[in-house]
Amino acid sequence: MATVRVTLGLSSADVMSTAVSLNVAANLLADSGSIVRAKVKGTAADTDDLVIYKANDKLESAYLYIQNLDPEKENYITVRNETESNTALVAKIGGGEFAFIPVAVDKTYQCIATKVNTMIEYGVFGLDNSAVTLA
Amino acid sequence: MATTTATITISSSDLTGDALSLSTTATLTKANSASGLDQTTGVARKFFASAQANTTLIAAADYTAGKAHKVYIKNTSTSNSEFVKVELGASNLSLGFLYGGDFMFIPYDGENDIDIDTSDVNMTVEFLVIYEA
Repeated sequence: MATVRVTLGLSSADVMSTAVSLNVAANLLADSGSIVRAKVKGTAADTDDLVIYKANDKLESAYLYIQNLDPEKENYITVRNETESNTALVAKIGGGEFAFIPVAVDKTYQCIATKVNTMIEYGVFGLDNSAVTLA
Repeated sequence: MATTTATITISSSDLTGDALSLSTTATLTKANSASGLDQTTGVARKFFASAQANTTLIAAADYTAGKAHKVYIKNTSTSNSEFVKVELGASNLSLGFLYGGDFMFIPYDGENDIDIDTSDVNMTVEFLVIYEA
């Protein structure tokens, strides 16, 4: 078993009259995973979507990190639970922003963008299910 | 204008042959704007004495729809078997499970409630919403 450590910090000196400084960390239960950089070609559901997690690729739990690398915030990517429906929106991520989400291991997640060939970086970490291949 | 930043790091020395070390920071801004998100719930905790099912943690009615809000949620349990299931909307679309100590950080459009199920009694959920009008 490998150790994957994730930390998240949220900080602001001026969003409230008292500073926000939140720092959390977790060690993920994982023996597999990778970071991938790819282009999202599709701009409409079911046409050139990018599969970022295939159903049952992981066992028990899986964690998705995804960042929209586009420099323009208005160029969004949307992540949806494809197994449920084309409208099962999970997250809409602006350029430069990221999300860290525990995904349902038995669902497939896909991504489309508002601009063709939007560059993203993503990774899924968890316990590998050898019965499922990504091919 | 408020400035709030979010930084995530993902690291592992033994998951792959080449050590994994990723760190990125985002400044949290309003939808279609360079201005920072300027409202927040602060870091809050809710204690649930009984196991919950489809309990609203974050109500969409409290937030303007179609905006670039951000949400952080953590299961503060230290038990690997105690989970918080996070769901979206009336159809309870499952986002996934937060086991003890796990957390998540997501953009939130304010269009659907964020609901939770809890696996056990006496569980505490920590959350924060940073949002705009």
